[in-house]
Amino acid sequence: MQANCPECEAEITLDKPMRGEIIVCPDCGAELEVTSENPLALDLAPQEEEDWGE
Amino acid sequence: MIVIKIGGSSGINLDHVCADIGVLAKSGKQIVLMHGTGKEADALGEKLGHPARHVTSPQGFTSRYTDRDTLEVFVMAACGKVNTFLVERLQKLGVNAIGLSGVDGRLLEGTRKDAIRIVENGRQRILRDDYTGRVEKVNADLLRALLERAYVPVIAPLAISYQGDAINVDGDRAAAMIAGALGAEQLIILTNVPGLLRNFPDEASLIARIDRNRVEASIDFAEGRMKKKVLGASEALGLGVKQVIFADGRVEQPLQRAREGKGTVIE
Repeated sequence: MQANCPECEAEITLDKPMRGEIIVCPDCGAELEVTSENPLALDLAPQEEEDWGE
Repeated sequence: MIVIKIGGSSGINLDHVCADIGVLAKSGKQIVLMHGTGKEADALGEKLGHPARHVTSPQGFTSRYTDRDTLEVFVMAACGKVNTFLVERLQKLGVNAIGLSGVDGRLLEGTRKDAIRIVENGRQRILRDDYTGRVEKVNADLLRALLERAYVPVIAPLAISYQGDAINVDGDRAAAMIAGALGAEQLIILTNVPGLLRNFPDEASLIARIDRNRVEASIDFAEGRMKKKVLGASEALGLGVKQVIFADGRVEQPLQRAREGKGTVIE
């Protein structure tokens, strides 16, 4: 499964992507979120702080 | 002024805690009580066929994944059962307790995190539709108005987001924010262990004193939920609270013992 990094346009191939998974672009190092598995779609991962729930 | 946090885990003896609150309140001490909900929310979720899902953050903190259905269960347990029956216990002892959650009067306000990062099977991922957040503002005027009229506010660990959503918040850190906002002399965090343990679960390894400048380093000794309590302690001290005590909530006179220095005293 292939998609392009939204930051640097590098081509990224993933074997078994999981929706919500965070990967790192091997070219530019940006953290990317898998927003769709098939077709594979990637977006920049939100930079969340700690989760503070009870 | 004392802010007390009672954990939501099993083992804490509410009869002993409430009896001690009665003694302190009758001596004229102003008290704010914050409670947890963990065990009751888990039990209610099981009964309703919606068991809790606990997730771990990349930093190693665990918390409850709170989608809208989970939030409903959490509110039922926190405000419906735990809060009301704590108020009932205190009222039976002649303490004029008043139950609130952070949603009421925008008592606790903060940012909702609708997406959280978790680690699952060694992989990081994003979970969405979450109703958790972190308390950033405390309506101290509301609490002072109640305290001046000799009420004992009993607060459930919910807050309201700036957009008006109810959110599940960490009770220890919410208690720290309240203690800071009110300029409390003490924040007492009661748990089902004697305090912070050097070698968990060996209760003989209790750390009796921590210098306020060393509190963040002591997080290395904390296991599981104790990590957030240490973080809360650090924040409370940073906000001007003079002393934070982790103490045993299972024993008789737990608050008097804590105030005598039994537990982990951080100052």
